[in-house]
Amino acid sequence: MTFSLGLIWFIATALSGLVIKVAGVTGLKAAGRESLGMFKPLVIRLPCALLAAALLMQIAPLDPVSKLIGSGTGMPGILAASVLGAFLPGGPMVVFPIAVVLQQAGAGVPQLVALIAGWSVFDLNRMLTYEAPVMSWRFAILRFLSCLVVPVLAGFGAQLIQSLSGAP
Amino acid sequence: MEMTRTDLVFVGLVVALGVICYGIGGTQAVIDALLQAKSLLLSVLPQLAGGLLIGGMVKQLVGREKISTLLGAGAGLRGLIVATAAGAVTPGGPFMSFPIAYALWTAGAGAGVLVTYIVAWSLLGFVKLTVWELPLMGIEFTSVRFLVSLPLPILAGLVAERLSRLRVFHFDTGAER
Repeated sequence: MTFSLGLIWFIATALSGLVIKVAGVTGLKAAGRESLGMFKPLVIRLPCALLAAALLMQIAPLDPVSKLIGSGTGMPGILAASVLGAFLPGGPMVVFPIAVVLQQAGAGVPQLVALIAGWSVFDLNRMLTYEAPVMSWRFAILRFLSCLVVPVLAGFGAQLIQSLSGAP
Repeated sequence: MEMTRTDLVFVGLVVALGVICYGIGGTQAVIDALLQAKSLLLSVLPQLAGGLLIGGMVKQLVGREKISTLLGAGAGLRGLIVATAAGAVTPGGPFMSFPIAYALWTAGAGAGVLVTYIVAWSLLGFVKLTVWELPLMGIEFTSVRFLVSLPLPILAGLVAERLSRLRVFHFDTGAER
């Protein structure tokens, strides 16, 4: 966790330098305002989302989860997770806490990769509210079909990496 | 502090889950959940702060026009690679990416480029990655997922190019939908 913290702040610092170079201090201030604007909606929602995830961890029947998408489930688990991902509601603030719960419930890495990839590319919610209205249904369906194998391949790739690196 | 409707939904969700949790596991289960949420929040916050800063910087550096010009150039495999990069650096939610895609469509971009761009934005989006995935899922998981996802937008774009030759999916430009 400390390594990712360092990495994030390293990138943030490097980008600040770039912003100053490109847009000066005014640009940096604008970027800061932008960041603060993104933070404001989270003040209530983020603690709530994390608390909801923690409560869910206490009450959800975790056994079926590990049976369905556990680390030993292989390809069927990857397929199940891909489908599950498409139906996850809402944005990253909801989905990543859910993924944390599933991780602690024993979901496997390849299966979680497929789940996140499935949510990323399908997200039926987003398709209904943005993609179809802006791009037309025909495009939305074309894109949907083009992505069918994407989460499965992602999960498969993760499994490959896992077995190559000798992880369980 | 103003409460929006979405905030209320989140608060309602917590209250409902809290009641159920109390019903099933009693006070101890609720306390356990609170403690876990607290430690999760404390580990996420410093990373989230950095992530949001990155988001703000990226928004300053890459505007809508820049991405559009970037994507206008090049067709074929090179176009798909450029579309992947453009999608990965596009900040913000669907209210940002889909209007860009639509503008490109009316400007004559093909189905392959559009699909690659959208898939890259959703799968590799740099801001989402640093703000959410890295803090919550950790560096190991995030890098594995990023690595295996890297070629997939191009693959989806190639499939889309093929599919768009079918009559059902035949459309010239977005202007005549």
